[in-house]
Amino acid sequence: MACTHDHSCEDHDCSSSWSLYKHIDLSKVTALNEANPGSVKSVFKAWEERLNSTGEHLESNEGDPELLVYIPFTSDVKIKSISIVGGADGTSPSKLRVFINRDGIDFSDAQSMQPVQEWDLVENLHGMLEYQTRYSKFQSVANITLHFPESFGSDTTQIHYIGFKGEATQLKRDVVATIVYEITPNPSDHKTRAETGGGLSHVE
Amino acid sequence: MVLEATMICIDNSEWMRNGDYAPSRFQAQADAVNLICGAKTQSNPENTVGVLTMAGKGVRVLVTPTSDLGKILACMHGLEIGGEMNLAAGIQVAQLALKHRQNKKQQQRIIVFAGSPVMHDKKALEMIGKKLKKNSVALDIVNFGEDDGGKTEKLEALLAAVNNNDTSHIVHVPAGPNALSDVLISTPIFTGDGEGGSGFAASAAAAAAGGVSGFEFGVDPNLDPELALALRVSMEEERARQEAAAKQAAEEASKEEKGGEEQDATMTERASEGASEADNKKIEIADDDDTSLQQALAMSMDEPTSSQDLQDTEMSDAAAEDPELALALQLSVQDSTKDSSSQADVSKLLADQSFVSSILASLPGVDPNDPSVKEVLASMQNQSEPQQKQDEDKAPKKEEEK
Repeated sequence: MACTHDHSCEDHDCSSSWSLYKHIDLSKVTALNEANPGSVKSVFKAWEERLNSTGEHLESNEGDPELLVYIPFTSDVKIKSISIVGGADGTSPSKLRVFINRDGIDFSDAQSMQPVQEWDLVENLHGMLEYQTRYSKFQSVANITLHFPESFGSDTTQIHYIGFKGEATQLKRDVVATIVYEITPNPSDHKTRAETGGGLSHVE
Repeated sequence: MVLEATMICIDNSEWMRNGDYAPSRFQAQADAVNLICGAKTQSNPENTVGVLTMAGKGVRVLVTPTSDLGKILACMHGLEIGGEMNLAAGIQVAQLALKHRQNKKQQQRIIVFAGSPVMHDKKALEMIGKKLKKNSVALDIVNFGEDDGGKTEKLEALLAAVNNNDTSHIVHVPAGPNALSDVLISTPIFTGDGEGGSGFAASAAAAAAGGVSGFEFGVDPNLDPELALALRVSMEEERARQEAAAKQAAEEASKEEKGGEEQDATMTERASEGASEADNKKIEIADDDDTSLQQALAMSMDEPTSSQDLQDTEMSDAAAEDPELALALQLSVQDSTKDSSSQADVSKLLADQSFVSSILASLPGVDPNDPSVKEVLASMQNQSEPQQKQDEDKAPKKEEEK
């Protein structure tokens, strides 16, 4: 299931709908089997820059086209569709399998587990194709893992852009990270707005 | 401070009974393992370490990755030596153990002690290496013990297949007086990748090495900065004084050589080519007499700072030309502990017949068989003993004259 844009993007305002990249926690994005460590972060950018291939892109190691990309979000998101721009000459990925809300997946897990959804991809050099998700399964995604098992015949797989369309909720799935435990209360830690605004506050 | 889960693969095969590493290979290995566990858990409290054995009846995991140092040390007791090491299976089981670590945020690392011969072929090891690299597992290899033909090559191939951005390392430890753990302390296996030494590694280096400490002067600058500074300053002053004395000795020797003689024909032929260049340098040094002598005196009176560097570069240029000269110069900038002996060495070299004669032979316009030359040379030899004292006397005398 794919839809192509046959209109100019200004009226449709595509860029805002592909804005889930802003909710990606880039510092925690990791990829397995990438040739340059850290290059995976370069594929998450704005819709307008999806064809901009001057910067880095994500490439797998020589002789092995498998790639595994782990993407955590800063808050729970609902994903409506995914768009992938691959490389030329058969280096585009040919299949995509995704897993939701599981971390620490490696290749043997990815190959044996049943994905939440999988697609057969097409060579999408202009980024006009999007792959719709079964929306009911993608309602509260805290992190997503993309597994690209093969390419279109080349020894390596190249990915220039990964885009997500959907909406972000403000909810977070994580446990509360910062809790301060006190043995005795320290009043300076507990100033209310009324107290700091003005006037004196006495603590006996 | 990298957050890491480590699996250590121990070789407990029959080859570990050998005593070429004191007290036995197995004991040396155990000590190294203990040190590594300590270093890892200290560098980051959330790090975990696990241990497995590769030989014996089969690969056996002794303890899964844990941050409890006591558990790890306890499991090292009562290990039995026997069987043959199965490197491939060991690494694969280690990878599996790391896969099921509790904290998925930890980086994965395997440390292998390869003491016995490696049975697998290079291809199989490279496949394993590629799989590790794909799953971003780093591998450190400690190559010690047996060294049959292909082992080093195979391990290097394995490392090349695994290595991703220099996160994996290999260390070859030959048998010798140094303990296995001491050798490992200075390697990246202990110190991590370019983070600099962890505190544990640094203090372990200082403690374990005893007199021969990892720190200059045997004093930790962190513990006692003033003492370290005082030692460093005094050593620089001593070095400057030595260089001044060495310079004077070189000048005197070259002056006397111009009137010297040849005593040994065979040595000449051997060293003539090299000596001629060294000779030119010596003549240059003699020509720069006044300026360099003044420099030397100024140095011995003032603080030895910039001028010392000048001396160093001059000398190193000369040293590049001639290995014998390099030896002489090297001796002249030896440690403070050896200063009196090095002085004697320099003058001994100059008094050495063959050295002098080889230089003399290539001096232009000097006839080694000239009787006056012979006389001077003979007198120079007699002076070689008190010459050392003379040098030291001359330096302060000239200071007084100035």
